[in-house]
Formats: sequence, structure tokens, C-alpha cells
Amino acid sequence: MENIMNLPFLQELLLSTMRMATPLLIVALAELYSEKAGLVNIGLDGMMAFGALVGFLTSYITGNPYLGILAGGLGGIMVNMIYAVATIQLGAQQIVFGMAINLFAPALASFIYKAYFGISSTLAQATLMEPMAIPLLSEIPFIGKILFHHTIIVYIAYLLVPISYIFFEKTKAGLNFKAVGEFPKAAESLGINVYRQKYLACIICGLLAGIGGAYLTTAYVSTYSDGIVSGRGFIALSAVVFGRWMPTGVLFAALLFGFADSIQLRLQIINPETPYQLLAMIPYLSTLFALAFFGIKKSGPKANGQPYFKEER
Amino acid sequence: MNFKNNLIKALIPIISILLALLTGALLITIIGGNPVEAYEYLLRGAFGSKNNIGETFVKATPLIFTSLAAAFAYKCGVFNLGGQGQFVMGAVASALIATTNNSLEGLPLIIVSLTAGTIAGGLWGMIPGILKITRGLNELIVSIMLNYVAILFMGYLYTAPLRNGSVPQTAAVRANLSRLMDGPRTHTGIIIAVVLAFGIHYFMFHTAAGFKLRAVGMNQIASFYNGFPVKRLMLISFIVSGAIAGLGGSIELHGTQNRLMSGFGDGYGFDGVAIALIAQLNPIGSLIVAYLFAVLRTGATTMQVGTGLPTAVIDIIQALIIVFAVAGSALTNMPKIKQVILKFSLASKKEED
Repeated sequence: MENIMNLPFLQELLLSTMRMATPLLIVALAELYSEKAGLVNIGLDGMMAFGALVGFLTSYITGNPYLGILAGGLGGIMVNMIYAVATIQLGAQQIVFGMAINLFAPALASFIYKAYFGISSTLAQATLMEPMAIPLLSEIPFIGKILFHHTIIVYIAYLLVPISYIFFEKTKAGLNFKAVGEFPKAAESLGINVYRQKYLACIICGLLAGIGGAYLTTAYVSTYSDGIVSGRGFIALSAVVFGRWMPTGVLFAALLFGFADSIQLRLQIINPETPYQLLAMIPYLSTLFALAFFGIKKSGPKANGQPYFKEER
Repeated sequence: MNFKNNLIKALIPIISILLALLTGALLITIIGGNPVEAYEYLLRGAFGSKNNIGETFVKATPLIFTSLAAAFAYKCGVFNLGGQGQFVMGAVASALIATTNNSLEGLPLIIVSLTAGTIAGGLWGMIPGILKITRGLNELIVSIMLNYVAILFMGYLYTAPLRNGSVPQTAAVRANLSRLMDGPRTHTGIIIAVVLAFGIHYFMFHTAAGFKLRAVGMNQIASFYNGFPVKRLMLISFIVSGAIAGLGGSIELHGTQNRLMSGFGDGYGFDGVAIALIAQLNPIGSLIVAYLFAVLRTGATTMQVGTGLPTAVIDIIQALIIVFAVAGSALTNMPKIKQVILKFSLASKKEED
């Protein structure tokens, strides 16, 4: 027990919580932008997988993980444009189509990886992003290392929370954006271009989800493997529900699920004789329990999930 | 008019399959392969010999179960993405009975084991159902989280308590489903699957209970005001859906895999959903599409060995079928297009008159 209750362990635990929460936070924010414009997108896992592959390949070829992150974001947008056209233009069922994206994008990622490296290659290694310590702040004892000794993506992810809050609550553009998810017909009659806002939401969603996936292969582990996302997109989806469609709530949820993820990893290290599968269940079970006890019925945008046709009035 | 509509509905999956194969050929060409040669290997892998034909049926069997499970839930308007978890839990329950020592043997063992698997799958499917109707939780998220829990639980069982030997896997089951013919591994599971599909079709479209279930799927509010127990029907459909998947897992264990090990049931849940959607939730359609997916799966390995093209090409083709099929049915449901179809069928009707 004493190797759990000491300061270095706690510091490591909280540091890794910040790190593990980052992809969840970015991807949950991606979903938040999508749902605020009335588009439920369960294809997050797929977009992340594709972002992870594109990010990895770019960073492998150029040796620059920052380019990798950027390319991952673009990859996410590309995948999400398929979803955008099908759901916005054709009014395809969003959940069904998100499901299709979850099958298609990881298959495409796996195909590209194998086409590039060959079928039976050993794991290729790419350069990982180095942490950027923030001067002075990172020297604060104990919390300095936890909060201010990270890769740049981590800082960006956490900065996106206040930015999103201000956008949704304090700007006219944000209100217009939300109007599309609440009552598209009224929004249209006020001169808001509903389709354009929805496309914008899909671009933001694809970008962030792709970046969240690329984070896994450029800042977290240095390799790409099929199944690397392992349901993180769905955990992010739960974070939006659990965070009650608010940026601050999403932050809290992502930190909680990130904590669950990092505690199971720490426990695996200090208990090598416990079968790892039992500990690896913790993030999924804690997501389930969190939702079952604190999840809330219907507090999402009102027109969430419904197709919108201009012609039908 | 109705016939025309049905024709268009039936055409969507066929066109989607052709488009997906075409896109696959394009991808193969892009990475420097020969699509004709690749598809030739694919067909040879699926139909080339008695063994290969049998193997295709072996691969189709679990897919039929998971797609029937997905279709059953979705017909009642609930989305069960937990097919894989329920499939795995069914197999886990069976493994607990059939790989450990007890007095049962032969057919009685199989009957008890399949029943246990069905119940386990049903219970695993009941969890998202209960959380949906009591707490209003999104069944999709819950059922997916439960997939991961089930897979890890199975992993725990075959690495620790049920482990047999140095490799992490369980002992072999003490009774197998009987083979249909000498040579190939095709077993009685495929017969159970086909009978079940016809049974579900009859239940869905020819019984009052099936009608109520479909009514809830089509319009919850109208069903509620008609006095249908909407919540109870949703819960029941979730349980039955899980039970179908669980039975599939049991049958896979007793018929094909014989033991639990890493990768058991991998991907069957989502493939099942895709198959159900391509088949437009029709149980008989599920049989056909599941068989097609099995052809692609069995052929993929032969193609990879023969041409060096990764099997991922086939995964892409499968995924594209569903992308095209969903987009296609959305397209024909668009208000504008619907009018065009209506005009077209009215015009052709006049001509007939």
C-alpha cells in the first residue's frame, strides 16, 4: 500500500491523467461542435483511427510530429466530409451513417498502413513530440510538473475549453451556430444558412477528431497499430452526454475518464501478477457507472439527430 | 406502385455491392495490383473446392446470428451495437459449462450449454435495455462499453482461471456440434441459423406481437397512444436480440473454434449491424448478405496469399457496401427524389392501363 500513497506516485498519476484526458477532451469537443449544430456523429472512433494513421505516416516520413498532428486533422476532415454530404445533403440517418464511418475509416487506415509498409512488417517507429515545459510555471513544486510540462497539444486541448465556452455563450456566431441545432427552421427564417453552419460543424468535428487520433500516434505512442483507438471515440461520446453538452462539463468528464484510464495503467505496473484484463476494464466500467448514476435525460440540442430539408416546410 | 417501390428497395443493396466492388478494384489498381486476378483468387478462395465452399458456410454462421440480433433490436427502434459483447458472453457461459468437469456429456451437454449461452447473451443485452428505459441512457454507448467489458472478461478467463496449457486459451469443449459432411468444417449451426432466420421473419411479419414490436420501431408515440407497452417491448427486444447473439457465440464455440482464445468473435458485432442494415432489417435478407460477407471473408485470405494484397481491401469493400447502401436509401427517401419516383411510377402505371 505504501507504494501507492506517496507523492511521486500521485504526481505521476495526475500527470498521466492530464495526458490520457487530452485525446478524450479534444474528441469530445469535436462531438460537442457537431451536436450543437444538430448532428450526432458516432463515427468518432473511425475519424480518430484515420487521423492516427495519417498523423503517424506524416510524422514517420517527414520526421516532424507537428506536421503529423496537422495532417491527422486534415485526414479527419476528409473522412467527415463523407458523413457531412450523406447526412446534411441526403438526410441519411446520422447514427447509421456514423456506424458506417466506424467501419470504413479504420479499414482504410489499415489498408494504407499495409500498402505502405507491406503485410508482414515489423512495427515502424516515428518520432514523438517532446514536452514543452512552460518557463517558471513548470518549476512550481509538485503541480508545476503536472500542469505545465506537456506537449503543445495538451495545452491547446485545455485552451479549447474556455474558447468554446466563449464561442457558444458570448458570441453572435456561436448563438447562430446553436440555433441550427435547436430550431433549424427558425434559424433559416432569420437568414442563417443552416446547411453552411452544419458543414462548418462537420469541418470542426473532423479536424478535432482527427487531431485527437493523431495525438495517439505522435505524442502518446510512437507506433500505429490497428485498433489503437480502442473505443476512445465512444468514451468521448459519453463525455459529451455526461458533461451535459457544456464545454466545462465535457472537460470535467474527460478528466474523470482520463483519470480512470491512467489509474488502471499505474495499477498494472505495480501489480504485474494481476491479470491485466481486470484492470483494463476500469475505464469502460467507470464510464458506464458515471452515466448510469449521473447521466441525464434529454438535455441535448432539441433538433439533435434530425435531418433538415429546406424544401419541407 | 408498391411493387416499383420494392424494386427500388431491392436494387439499392445490389447497386451498392457492385459500386463497392468497383471501388475496391480501383484501390487495388492504385497500389499496383491486378483487380481481375485479385477477384479471381477471391472467388477461388470462397468456391474453389468442397472445403472452401464449406468454410464459407462456417464463416457465414456467426454473422447470421449477429445480424439477426441487430435487426431484431432495430425493428423495435432500439440500436444494439453490443452484438459482439453478447456473442462473447454467450460463448463464455458455454465455455464455463463445456470445458470444465461436470457430469454432462454429448448432446445433453450441448443443449445445456447452448441454453446457457442464450441466457447469458440475453442478460448482457438486458443491461443496456434496462438503463435505457429506466435512466434514459443512450443504449448505443452502453452496449459498446459492455462490448469492451465482455472481451476483457473473456480474456481474463482464458489467461487465468480457465487457462489450459502454456498458451492463453481454454481447454477444448467436451462436445462438438456434428459436421454436415466429411471434410469441411460446416456444422449443424448453419441449419439452426437458417431456421432461426425464417422463425424471426414469421414472428416479425405474421404475428400480433411482431406487429407491435415493429409499430414501436416505426412510431413510438403512436404506439404509446394505442396502448402498446412501449418500454416493455423495447426491453424485450433488447433481451431477445442479446439472446440471439449469445446463441451465436455458443454455436461458434461448439461448432468452429472449440475453445476461447484471443480474437474470438472479433468484429462480428459490427459486421452484424452492417449486414442487417444492408439487408434492410429483413431476416431472410440477412441470410443472403451474411453469406456474401462470408464469401468476401473466406476469399480475402486466399487473395492475400495469392496476390500479396492486404485483406484490408476486403474490409474496405464491406464498409463501402454499407456506406453506399445507407446513402442510397437516404437518397431515395429525399422529398425531391421521392416525388420523382412517384411521378415515374404513376406515369408507368398509366402506360400499363
